[in-house]
Amino acid sequence: MLKVENIDVAYGDLQVLWDVSFTVQEGELLALLGANGAGKTTILNTISGLLRPRRGSIRFLGEEISRVPGHKLAELGIAHVPEGRRLFPEMTVKENLEMGSLSPEAKKKRKETMEWVYTLFPILKERQNQEAGTLSGGQQQMLAIGRGLMALPKLLMLDEPSLGLSPLLVSQVFEIIQDINRQEITVLLVEQNVMHVLKMCSRAYVLENGRLVLQGSGPELLNNQHVKEAYLGI
Amino acid sequence: MSLFGQTVICGILLGGMYALIAIGMTLIMGVMKIINLAHGALVMVGMYITYVCYKSWGLDPYIGMLIAMPALFLIGCLIQRYMINRLVEVDSILPENQVLLTVGIMLVLTELARLIFKSDYRSVTTGYSSSTFFVGDMSISIPMTVGFFIAMAFTYLLHLFLTRTDLGRSIRATAQDRNAAIYMGVNAPRVTVITFGIGSALAAAGGSLLLPLFYLWPDIGHLFTAKAFIITILGGMGSTMGAIFGGLTLGIAESLGATYISMGYKDVVGLVIFLLVLLFLPGGFKSLTKR
Repeated sequence: MLKVENIDVAYGDLQVLWDVSFTVQEGELLALLGANGAGKTTILNTISGLLRPRRGSIRFLGEEISRVPGHKLAELGIAHVPEGRRLFPEMTVKENLEMGSLSPEAKKKRKETMEWVYTLFPILKERQNQEAGTLSGGQQQMLAIGRGLMALPKLLMLDEPSLGLSPLLVSQVFEIIQDINRQEITVLLVEQNVMHVLKMCSRAYVLENGRLVLQGSGPELLNNQHVKEAYLGI
Repeated sequence: MSLFGQTVICGILLGGMYALIAIGMTLIMGVMKIINLAHGALVMVGMYITYVCYKSWGLDPYIGMLIAMPALFLIGCLIQRYMINRLVEVDSILPENQVLLTVGIMLVLTELARLIFKSDYRSVTTGYSSSTFFVGDMSISIPMTVGFFIAMAFTYLLHLFLTRTDLGRSIRATAQDRNAAIYMGVNAPRVTVITFGIGSALAAAGGSLLLPLFYLWPDIGHLFTAKAFIITILGGMGSTMGAIFGGLTLGIAESLGATYISMGYKDVVGLVIFLLVLLFLPGGFKSLTKR
């Protein structure tokens, strides 16, 4: 579905990604793991068109997207739930969700999609006329995911959805992500919460200092010596 | 007592029209994060267009406004598209340089107006220019009242546009988080172009409403830039409601100053309030409503 090939990405003179290649298969829950500053968010921002790769290609459903302007990607079927949620704080919950469905196709089904998002996150329905900035951290994360789903994406990219949440909420958010994945939405998940993610993902790549160093299925990586030492502390 | 009441009402009416101009400025500031120092010059251009419509075809300023607004919308779009956005694309240039660009635009517009119309004072004298009506023993200007209500109607329409339409919500979203808006599929550069156009059209509307009340000359733009800037700071930057309160405050302050101190000192009162707000309420009125 998504094929990233040999991309190099730099901020000005500072190169942060070297020769990164990976693929996301239709219907899978793929995880990109790595420590702070490894370049995970940079990968997502490059796919989203906010950054341009120096080299390499990014293909989505066979189409080259590395030169497509960022605002066109939502229409192609990629939804990006950014790190730190990035809601519109002075807009209501409902307005935030409406902002998620701007593409003509998503707009046609706006009402039904909103009902679906409300069944996934009943708390959002209760709070629909409240400003997003007044929600709690967990509710904000749910709204961010809900806003991403409003685009009816083929690929949902989630950047650190567990960031800043209590352990109980983290489990809840991860369950919802699995739930979404079961409804045939491909998920690309970026996380630092390695243990949790490896137990639920279909495959994962490990990113270190801007290079992909390992890949495999969840159980394979859970038993990998390097992963155990560096990320699980076993 | 009736003098006081009359002064306050006059201030409110004037303030409503100032607010319309300031809302245009605050809208642009919200999305672009820059002060548009050409805003008053755009008001001035709008006033001249309405003036020409009146002089050449005898169109009433309230009708001429309907020509000035689309014209300024177009001018605003072109300025944003071909001047300001081009500067945004250059990474190494500081945001201050966009502000400097607006100063340049202001100078060019002002001098162009001087070239065409000379520095003469001009005015539009309509049948109702100096007509009044009485509430009790307070005499209230009709063009001020009409202007106030038209300004409030435009403000309400803008509010509906910003809250009920996808384009309006995209403008607010871009102001609140530009990158997140792009993730949602908002074409942010296009939104900035439309926003600048709308802001300029509102400036033209405010100018046209004030035309029956003010003398018009090329440098009048500076006056409106200063007023809009003060109102924007008073209201808290980027806030539409704040701009309305800021406009009313400035209008009342000027009006009281003109009546009780001296006509020549009316702007001083506004500036003193501006300084007091900067000193004691730096976030503007908007910060009062936030916990």
